[in-house]
Amino acid sequence: MYANHYDGGASHFHGGGFMPSQATQTPDQAGSSKTRSSTTSTTVPLTIKQITEAFHLNDERADFLIDGVEPSLVKLLGRVLNKAERVTDVSFLLDDGTGSIEVTRWVSDSFDTDEMTKIENGMYVVLIGKLKAFQGKRHIGAHAVRPVQDFNQITLHFMECIHAHLDNSRKATAVPATTSAMNDMRAYQTLNVGTGASGDIREVVLSVFQEPASLARENGLHVNEIIRRLGLQEQKIREAIEYHVEVGNIYSTIDDDHYKSACNG
Amino acid sequence: MDTSSPTVFVNGELLKLYMGRRVRTVVQVTRNEGGAVVGQSTDNQQLTVKGPNQSVPVMHFMEVIGVADGPQSIRAEICTDFGSNFDTASYNGLCKLANGQFKNLFL
Repeated sequence: MYANHYDGGASHFHGGGFMPSQATQTPDQAGSSKTRSSTTSTTVPLTIKQITEAFHLNDERADFLIDGVEPSLVKLLGRVLNKAERVTDVSFLLDDGTGSIEVTRWVSDSFDTDEMTKIENGMYVVLIGKLKAFQGKRHIGAHAVRPVQDFNQITLHFMECIHAHLDNSRKATAVPATTSAMNDMRAYQTLNVGTGASGDIREVVLSVFQEPASLARENGLHVNEIIRRLGLQEQKIREAIEYHVEVGNIYSTIDDDHYKSACNG
Repeated sequence: MDTSSPTVFVNGELLKLYMGRRVRTVVQVTRNEGGAVVGQSTDNQQLTVKGPNQSVPVMHFMEVIGVADGPQSIRAEICTDFGSNFDTASYNGLCKLANGQFKNLFL
């Protein structure tokens, strides 16, 4: 089963202990991965102010981060200014009241040119396009530009911007839910210390060592950390630690002040 | 048109907070008298709009972009006819949100 099947077929990688994926398996950190799939395309309605303030991730790929989302496409609404028609493209400045940005619409066929001839200076338009940056300056490569006919669309667009902002911000703040739950646990444990009887102190000290965060640390916890956490007298905590060392629950690591739980929690 | 400064969404109530600043609002034209247009704001206050572009018919909605020069008056730079079908309640709500909780998206 081990040595005879090296022909590289995928099915032969199972069993036999030669599964390269095993070595690269990393534990999935709960709640820490945001979905940043490049396959799903997101169109985000934005105000130009949001664009000018967006966090620019990577100069080469021109990726922007807005409310924790990398939009593939953006939707904007504003007035057209300084329209300039050239052979291969039409460019203009879009002003939506929160700022202004350069927009370029490449025209390669009659559909594109027809679409752009309808657009005039001073007109309100909706556009969908890609956000780009060139030498520090941001601009839009528009895929579609349409005149606004019903002016309620203006109210609607800005409401959508607010809605999308709320939605994306809520997702971003929901991510560290697990860490905040752990912090709550700690707070609960520190409140739990009230009686002062030695048995209780020993239990509480042991429970601190057995927290997942403590177990994860290679050198365990310093005695002073326990003192700070529990707010008890150093003497009492050292007594509890000594007891646990004797019993075998914890052991010292790099020096006499660092201890770690011997159990796996 | 000077596009360097952002324009704030205002209704009648918010206009007085932005004196001297560029604002934008929508009013329903109630009367047209020579150099000024009197309109009703989305929160039912009477606003006076001074300036060019007085071609918006009565009862139509008009967007005004200009400078607030009085608690109920705007010196308009641009006026746009928004037609007769405009939802004032939504626009009013937008003004409140754009100046309140979500001001950072707009200004």
